[in-house]
Amino acid sequence: MDDARITALALRARDGDRAAAGEFVAATQAQVVRLLAHLADPSVAEELAQECYERALGSLRRYRGDAPARSWLLAIARRVAADHLRRRARRPVAPAEPAEDDRPLGRAPQSDPAESAAVRDALAALDADRREAFVLTQVIGLSYEDAAAVCRCPVGTIRSRVARARADLVDALGEPSAQRRSG
Amino acid sequence: MTSSSACDACREAMSAALDGEADAGEHARIEAHLAGCADCRAWQHDAAAITRRARTGAVTPSPDLVDRVVGAAPGPRVRWRGVAARAGLAAVGLAQAVLGAVSLLGAATHAHHAVDPLEVLGAGMAHATHESAAWNLALGVAFLAGALWTRHLAGLLPVLGAFIAVLAVLSGLDLVAGRVEPGRVVSHLVVVAGFLLGLAVVRTVPRPGAGPTPGARRRLPSFGGGPRPETPERPATTAPTPWERESDVA
Repeated sequence: MDDARITALALRARDGDRAAAGEFVAATQAQVVRLLAHLADPSVAEELAQECYERALGSLRRYRGDAPARSWLLAIARRVAADHLRRRARRPVAPAEPAEDDRPLGRAPQSDPAESAAVRDALAALDADRREAFVLTQVIGLSYEDAAAVCRCPVGTIRSRVARARADLVDALGEPSAQRRSG
Repeated sequence: MTSSSACDACREAMSAALDGEADAGEHARIEAHLAGCADCRAWQHDAAAITRRARTGAVTPSPDLVDRVVGAAPGPRVRWRGVAARAGLAAVGLAQAVLGAVSLLGAATHAHHAVDPLEVLGAGMAHATHESAAWNLALGVAFLAGALWTRHLAGLLPVLGAFIAVLAVLSGLDLVAGRVEPGRVVSHLVVVAGFLLGLAVVRTVPRPGAGPTPGARRRLPSFGGGPRPETPERPATTAPTPWERESDVA
């Protein structure tokens, strides 16, 4: 679904159209969950996504449609992830796996598990800023400009972070020809 | 041999090119550099392969959050309630304005005969009646205006609330003491109805805001410490929709 349509849904939802609110959530939830899985933690991504939508729908009446609604929503998701990490850092003991019992095992990421696990681990090992820029532009598919709007940084910063993330991934995932690199 | 800073610049440009974010000049510079740098040619190949893997690899099946965050109530209801409340408010405003106008006319026709039997705080009985009639008429106009321009309605509610609270106490005392006819007190219910409808309109109308602010801050429930305070199974009929809650105001 394109940005214009998502923005139109958000504006209708703001004006009290609950069906549009539902469509807005349906159209964006996969990306929100994915972003949160990468920026925070896959095991709590769903819970954080719910929190993200509660915040977004709560402040929707202040949304005027100046920026694309998807970027606006992803910026909220980014903040939710940051809050989560801050909360977790404040707590010295690792928190218990949340609600492990009510999460079906089928929820685990799939599609060639070994392959995607390797990519995920490599992404998780990236510097946080680089990972954020890379996930927003590659996994979520935002343009550099939209990613810059989400992160509130210059486009050039996104560009260099994405390039450094790529370089780190080339090193980490050890493509055969990478061995020939001099560095 | 090329310097490593030239390689870094080329790799950043190649990265941008992979995302369709490089311009023609950059493409030309990339080609020029790659012609003489085998390392960067290898890097380009690897980076492209890894980009494909990252874009397609990490597919997570997404849960369906729609019902949990939006609720199952039918869509047009909120809007309908708003329209109904506005129409009701307009009707109440009309009734109140008519009441005010009638008492104004009554006061005007009765005013010229009889010397005022009592005078309170410098105002004769006739003038006190004028004041109350003017106030009732003004309330009617305020309701009508509020039904039309809903964004001004919120400012009226504290005034009305205070008026109703004070009037309720005084009316009770006056009723007990026999200083007022019950019919007169009943006519105050029109104001109460206007207040309640105004409240309903304010709750259903989207508020004007300061533009997109993703920074909505809120006290967050902590994870792992018992059930979350907001259960998704709230009854949709009476509870405010999630985006009507005040708790998100930054």
